[in-house]
Amino acid sequence: MTSIQKKILTLTTIVLLIMSSIWLALTYYNFKTHQQYNDVLQRYLSMNEVSRASQLVVNDLNQLMLDSNPASLQQLQVSKEKLLHAKQGVYPLRNSDNAFTLTNYVHLIDSLVETTNRFILFQAEKDTESSAHEFSEANNISTYISEMTLALIDIELNTYSLFYRGIMEQSGEVIKLGIWVLLLITSILLIITYWFSLGITRPIFQLTKAANELSKGNFDRQVKVTAKDEIEFLAKTFDRMRININNLISEIKHKAALERELQESKLLLQESQFRSLQSQIHPHFLFNTLNTLSKKAYLDGAEETSDLLVSVAGILRYNLKQQNRSVTLRDEINVLKQYIDIQKARFTDRLQVYLDIDEACLDLKIPALTLQPIIENAVIHAVEPKIEGGTIWFKVRKKGHDVIIEIEDDGSGMPQEKIKQIINEEAPAITEGHSTGIGFSNVVKRLRLFYGYQDVIEILSVQDKGTNIKLIIRREGAVLDDQTSHCG
Amino acid sequence: MQKLGIIVAVVVVVLLCHFTFTSAQKVLQLDNQLPRLIGEEEGNHRLVLITQDRQTPFWDKVAEGAIRQAEIEGVSLEVWGSYGMNKEDFLKNIEVAIHSKVNGILVQGLDSPEFKELTKVKASFHGIPIITVANDVPMEESLRRTYVGSDQYTAGQLIADELIQQMVSDGQVVLMYDREREYYQRERIRGIKSVLNMYSKIEIIEVETDSTRDQVKAATRDVMNRFPQADAYIPVNANHVGIMISEISKRSQLDPFLIYTFDDGPEAISLLAQGIIDGVIEQEPEKMGEWSVQLLVEWLNGETVPLNHKGYLTDLKILKVNGAE
Repeated sequence: MTSIQKKILTLTTIVLLIMSSIWLALTYYNFKTHQQYNDVLQRYLSMNEVSRASQLVVNDLNQLMLDSNPASLQQLQVSKEKLLHAKQGVYPLRNSDNAFTLTNYVHLIDSLVETTNRFILFQAEKDTESSAHEFSEANNISTYISEMTLALIDIELNTYSLFYRGIMEQSGEVIKLGIWVLLLITSILLIITYWFSLGITRPIFQLTKAANELSKGNFDRQVKVTAKDEIEFLAKTFDRMRININNLISEIKHKAALERELQESKLLLQESQFRSLQSQIHPHFLFNTLNTLSKKAYLDGAEETSDLLVSVAGILRYNLKQQNRSVTLRDEINVLKQYIDIQKARFTDRLQVYLDIDEACLDLKIPALTLQPIIENAVIHAVEPKIEGGTIWFKVRKKGHDVIIEIEDDGSGMPQEKIKQIINEEAPAITEGHSTGIGFSNVVKRLRLFYGYQDVIEILSVQDKGTNIKLIIRREGAVLDDQTSHCG
Repeated sequence: MQKLGIIVAVVVVVLLCHFTFTSAQKVLQLDNQLPRLIGEEEGNHRLVLITQDRQTPFWDKVAEGAIRQAEIEGVSLEVWGSYGMNKEDFLKNIEVAIHSKVNGILVQGLDSPEFKELTKVKASFHGIPIITVANDVPMEESLRRTYVGSDQYTAGQLIADELIQQMVSDGQVVLMYDREREYYQRERIRGIKSVLNMYSKIEIIEVETDSTRDQVKAATRDVMNRFPQADAYIPVNANHVGIMISEISKRSQLDPFLIYTFDDGPEAISLLAQGIIDGVIEQEPEKMGEWSVQLLVEWLNGETVPLNHKGYLTDLKILKVNGAE
């Protein structure tokens, strides 16, 4: 059962109980008063009954005296019984006021009965004189009974007149009391009903206010209703709904932000595609030109220049072709070698590069142009600034299931902030002019995207001693081709 | 606004509570008390005092004494009586009392055959004891248990002695009594005569009358006609004194006459107080009432059996007009 229903039922029950108890009390009082009236009336009736019965006895006596037959004797016996019965009825009516008279009365009845009995006896013995005497005696007694009945009723009237007046007065007072009780209960009920309805409507009002707030779009205000009934439950549900809506809204906002970002990146992508397409036009021309220059240099006898130009052309081709594809480590290393050749032409003896490559690992898949920027970075930071030049070690080796590509230099080292920046792929490292435009952090990003895990790179740097960059590539995490490469 | 509403509501409720409460109190206080029902419980002795002359000062006192004594003894007693010497009513009362099987009857003796019939035959038949009070009827005739009251012979003597003192032993004395000559009147007359007969110069004039008012008037007129010289009047039945005096006062001054009577008539004491009559024999009605009840209860309880059949006599004294000659 719901608690509002319970409340209403309780109130109704209480009202009903009060009303019915008042009704019962009044009815009981009425009943009692009636009973009292009836009792009093009954007294008169029983006294009158005696008087009547005694007259009846005398009548029958007379009858018997005139005509002595068994029928009238029977009649007399019956009326005598009636008289005795009436006596039984009148005897318990004694009270302090009429005790004396009533006792006399009862004895008078006895005397009448005795006289009657004597009469019957004399009658049976045919003693006419005695029976006549008894008859007159009985007649007298009957008269006395009648008189005493009147006297008794007179006493009764005296006794009960006060009582009557009391009853009437009490009736009046009871009516007054009834009116007062009715008024009192009415007012109390009004107050209780008002209070009770307030208990139901106040939470509803609070709820309405909260709903209003919500409809206005104010989702931050807590809905709080203390009613301990359905309304409170409703308010709690409502509050939960508010919180949910709040969450949904923030989620939608979040999504919208994401979508905007996506849109931006889409635009960026289109732009870059456009750019890359555009950039592919010149390189081919450049590439052809470079080949022409290489042949020209060769024909002019400048073989070294020709080789350099071939290397440049190779890198350029690789660059144009492979930018967005994965390649094998072998291809990557080939390009790397060409790049080193070019750099060696520049730095001559200042640049020392040692390659230590485990051939078994050359089939490893790797994003294009990942190693070159790192080497370039090493050249720029470790070789370029120093007059005596620098050394770069490039190692590829197996370690358990991993392939470790290690690039080490003996330069001035990398500041910690920069390492952090690179690892965290933060704002792209300030390009220091020489890169292909694809920075170090770009490399990191691509590696992570390609292999699908974070700790793909490790950078160790000691001030003035050099930097060691390790690319740790899990073989099983790498592409399927890996297995066909018989790497391990 | 709301506060005002609450205050008004509280005041209304408190007021209504107050009214309801007082009204309820009133209703509860009005507990109508009916006389306690005695029901079947057997009462104590029921006695009846029956007189012919209710509401005469004398009999009122007898009743008073009897009722007081009845309360002391713890018996119930009712006083029944007829007014104005209604003999029929009186006898009927006795008969009712007998048929009502009361435990005892105190009765003003009436020297009439009907009375004797009732007491001797009926009361004895039902075994109801009867004590005569104030006026006696001889035991042989009434079978009364005893008599409580004055010795009427002595009363007569007393009144005669007083008369002698006032009359200087010479003159006519009128004695008026009922034709029936009830026993108590006979006793009084006997007492008076026993004194007056010693004085030869005093002449006694006896007048008989019926007890009706006209008869008394006629008898008075007659005796005044016949004996205009009469010096003293003694109505032996005290009930006649008022009629007699009004009749005499129509003829002459009352002063010259000596009028003596007894206190058991309705007017005797007040006439004495007015100085119209010269002397009254005062009996002890209260004592009679008390004593008779006491004796009857003692007899009923078997404490004093049998009662002295000669009777229990109360004191007498003569009341005279203040400053009488």
